[in-house]
Amino acid sequence: MIDQSRRMSCAATWLACLATFVVTGCDRTPPETRHRFTAMGTLVEVTVFDHSAEAATEAALEIESLFLDLEHQWDPWDDGELGAVNAAVSVGEDSTPGPDLARLVGRASELARKSDGMFDPTVGELVRLWGFDDADRIPERPPPAGEIRRVLDSRAPLPTLWDAADGTLRGHEGVTIDLGGFAKGVAVDRAIALLRERGVDNAIVNAGGDLRAIGRRGDRPWKIGVRAPRGGGILAAIEISGDESVFTSGDYERFFDFQDRRFHHIIDPRTGYPTLGLVSVTVVHDDAATADAACTALMVAGPERWPAVAKALGLRHVMVVDADGRVHMGKGTEVRVTILDEGALPIAIRELQ
Amino acid sequence: MKILRPADFLVLTVGAAIVGASYGAFWSERVEGDEAVVSVGHDEVARISLQDDGKFPVSGILGESVLRVKDGQVRFVESPCPGRFCVHAGWISRTGQVAACLPNGVVVEVRGGVREFDAINL
Repeated sequence: MIDQSRRMSCAATWLACLATFVVTGCDRTPPETRHRFTAMGTLVEVTVFDHSAEAATEAALEIESLFLDLEHQWDPWDDGELGAVNAAVSVGEDSTPGPDLARLVGRASELARKSDGMFDPTVGELVRLWGFDDADRIPERPPPAGEIRRVLDSRAPLPTLWDAADGTLRGHEGVTIDLGGFAKGVAVDRAIALLRERGVDNAIVNAGGDLRAIGRRGDRPWKIGVRAPRGGGILAAIEISGDESVFTSGDYERFFDFQDRRFHHIIDPRTGYPTLGLVSVTVVHDDAATADAACTALMVAGPERWPAVAKALGLRHVMVVDADGRVHMGKGTEVRVTILDEGALPIAIRELQ
Repeated sequence: MKILRPADFLVLTVGAAIVGASYGAFWSERVEGDEAVVSVGHDEVARISLQDDGKFPVSGILGESVLRVKDGQVRFVESPCPGRFCVHAGWISRTGQVAACLPNGVVVEVRGGVREFDAINL
């Protein structure tokens, strides 16, 4: 009897040890720090993993200051640096931006050239005409067709205005530079550079859903969900280890319906109207700035031309959803992107050419 | 001499059941959240259980936003912002999902379950 009792006691002790291991054995998760703020008309979240919470918060606060400063400097219509450049250029006067903005405009001009004008920041006046320049407001109806034509006719492509040799933007009446499809990506890249300088190896900088991730989350990659363009669910998942950006643009972000038609915020520089044919574009690329501009360029390029523009921009991984809800991917992207929507139509694979 | 007797099997069976139950409780991928954490600016102003159906007013920078909780989900139903993107954003229920009325400074985050994704590309 004593033996049996001792044996049961021994078994119970082993079980208690096992249960303790089950409950606490894996509970050694390194700290994860999240800091959230509003800038550039969106919610920005900085996630830092496996780094001291105090240092991570300090770095995230620096990023908040960085974003707020860039928001002011790069606002097309405010009194920051780009606003001052636009005030001159739009009345026909040449303007020489400071070195930082000059680098930005030069890079935007290069992307405009490579994308054959599908991405072009000189759509500023069109964006304003449509009423998409104010992040707090949504328009109720399209502008008159005659007005769109007038503004379109006064537009000039950025590569024809930017003189890289002397860093000058040529004045052109009616032109306003809007870096909205690009500046957020540049800000994300700078935020990641700041984190690296502070010794952070594992982090995500997420600006309204567009993000760049570095490192891993402990023993697993970062897991990124891609929103479905219709219905609000999750369309796909992407895992990131190392350093990559994931950007998505779509016709569902800012839009209004008028006479049973959707009008969204991505304006085709060729027509002056919102883009047609694709409802969302997701780009996975090394740097966030290129990914940001590429999303806009591919939305403009549409269902036929997006593979060619993706190749011209040097993109590796692209996923688009067409107006019928069908998912298309660049060849090789299917290895990186897992479709989660069980009701999705079969994926169409396209060669980037 | 027997190594294990019937009572030992009983103890081991009960123990295995406890371990199994613990696994389910601690490692299951329950992505639906338990509560909505509401912030204005950097300050947390409320925690609302997603089991408490009803409407919840929140004072923001511009005025009053109203959140609605129903069937484990939460959404903005009224807000003083001009664009009303927050209202159009609809319901959220997965842990880590966020809805925000930026002009009014009100942010709602679902918490309490397991994060399915570290970030969601919107």
